[in-house]
Amino acid sequence: MSAPVAIVEARGVSKVYPMPAGPVEALRDVSLTVAPGEYVAISGPSGCGKSTLLHLLGCVDTPTAGSLLFEGRPVLPMGEQERSRIRLRRIGFVFQRFYLLPMLTAWENVELVQSEAGMPAAERRARTRALLEYVGLGERAAHLPSQLSGGEMQRVAIARALANRPGLVLADEPTGELDDETGEQIGDLFDRVNADGTTLVIVTHNPALAARARRRLAMRSGRLAAPSVGAGS
Amino acid sequence: MSPLQFAWRSLSRRPARAVLGLTGVAVVGALLFDMLMLSRGLIVSFRDLLESTGFDVRVTATEALPGMGPVVSEAAATVEALRRLPELAAVVPVRFGVAAVDARDKKTREVAIIGSETRRRGEWRLVQGADLAEDSAAGRPGMVVNRTFARDQGLGPGSIVRLASTLTPREFRVSGIVEFPFEAAAERMAGVTLNGFTRAFPSARRDEADLLLVASQPGVGAETAVSAIRRARPDLHAFSIDEVLERLRQAEFSYFRQVSFVLATIASFFALLLVTTLLTVSVNQRLGEVAALRALGFSRRRITFDLLAESALLVGGGGIVAVPLGLLLARVLDSILRQMPDLPSRLHFFVFEPRALAIHLAFLVLAALVAAAYPVILAARLPIAATLRKESIS
Repeated sequence: MSAPVAIVEARGVSKVYPMPAGPVEALRDVSLTVAPGEYVAISGPSGCGKSTLLHLLGCVDTPTAGSLLFEGRPVLPMGEQERSRIRLRRIGFVFQRFYLLPMLTAWENVELVQSEAGMPAAERRARTRALLEYVGLGERAAHLPSQLSGGEMQRVAIARALANRPGLVLADEPTGELDDETGEQIGDLFDRVNADGTTLVIVTHNPALAARARRRLAMRSGRLAAPSVGAGS
Repeated sequence: MSPLQFAWRSLSRRPARAVLGLTGVAVVGALLFDMLMLSRGLIVSFRDLLESTGFDVRVTATEALPGMGPVVSEAAATVEALRRLPELAAVVPVRFGVAAVDARDKKTREVAIIGSETRRRGEWRLVQGADLAEDSAAGRPGMVVNRTFARDQGLGPGSIVRLASTLTPREFRVSGIVEFPFEAAAERMAGVTLNGFTRAFPSARRDEADLLLVASQPGVGAETAVSAIRRARPDLHAFSIDEVLERLRQAEFSYFRQVSFVLATIASFFALLLVTTLLTVSVNQRLGEVAALRALGFSRRRITFDLLAESALLVGGGGIVAVPLGLLLARVLDSILRQMPDLPSRLHFFVFEPRALAIHLAFLVLAALVAAAYPVILAARLPIAATLRKESIS
């Protein structure tokens, strides 16, 4: 029986940024395979390349060297349009700063990505309602982001990330703007998301959040350190 | 959510900025709309005046404007010759003169006198009393006067007008009050028959005309009539209304066209600058949002359409407000410009035309596209990862 196809696989990827003072190597020969259903946390000091790796895994950026496969398909030969389509339908993003659209309600923020993916209106409505209930914000659907707390905004962002039933959710410092207690609640929510079958890759400084992952990776100077396995495995 | 709805929500998010943008576009758009009306207003208005007379061809002795150059000699024979042309429906000789009248304050006033035949078409419009009739051999010749003259002299139907003279008395009986197409606001004017004209100006030669008004046969057209006159009488100068207007466009009215072109260009530039600046500032303030949307899978095309829709709402909204605002402004400017002396009171500088509105709308569409170009490029070419990184650091 063959092994399931990895959600995303980076093979010896490097990323070099050209800078006026000389090129900066953000990633050096990184290889990482994320299997379906995994919960991976990547930690490390600022500037070690965590976010760069996350952006490569999320098809937001392309590596300078190496190869990247998303659900078995090589990403590098894809055009920008194709990568946009993958991000819209197969990947969910959660940002440190939430990036909810301030003029849209919680409901509309979650519905917008489904609408962009061409989901029928009735299905969108049902999915949005279910997702807001799922993140515990069913009662706050009509609220604008400015009327929500930081934790609530991040919950809406998580609902938005799940809206198109992605195979992979990537989160970049999702508790970076939240207090410890709220960060714990977000951690609980991520646990539930993963338990319900969504693959998660989280970049975080927060040791408590990283500890929830089944696979924890450390990065230093653009390289992945030896993996350690979390308590949940 | 469509790009238009999305753009509407984006603009509603900062209502003060949106209102500022709309107001700016409306004001600049109004100015542009006015300049479009001004660029052809005089020509359109002058055409209306010329056409209101019911004659579509003018014949003079030279290329000089009627009354400014040599007269048509042997006018009676010329008129008869032209009347025989099958392309022409009517030929009316016209004479111009300026006489003096003793005003009620004992001062003399000038009155412009037009000598013509009894009214054939629209040489004037009867307002009160009776129209000019053929003069009887005996008695005072008839005269029609305009309202300014009637008001100044206290004239009405049946009144006697006495032209100032040290020689034989020159008296006319007013039959009616009329409105001449080309009368200026404070101008005293009167119309008499050709016989009456020679009575008013005894020294004027009898068989002359300053201008021949010609009407082409229905269905023939002015150009054909002009050609027929040129063939029959190459010594005369015949002009269709279009040719008269073209001369005015090239000479007398070119000043207004140039002014309107320069002001329209400046207005267009400011409209573009305003909308481009607003959209660019707006995009720059939400680079993180745009990058996040792109990371979430929103295509460049979608971002482009969102910005285009935002530009269209700003320019379209402002442009719609610009139309009534421009019409109001045009009315005010028109009333100021029409105070210039010696201008026909029915002549307008700003004239609404569907064509001006169409050009205005076309410009708005173009402005919306051009104004959005830079912010669209900015947003569409945004490096997603670098922007997100920069935003999270900042």
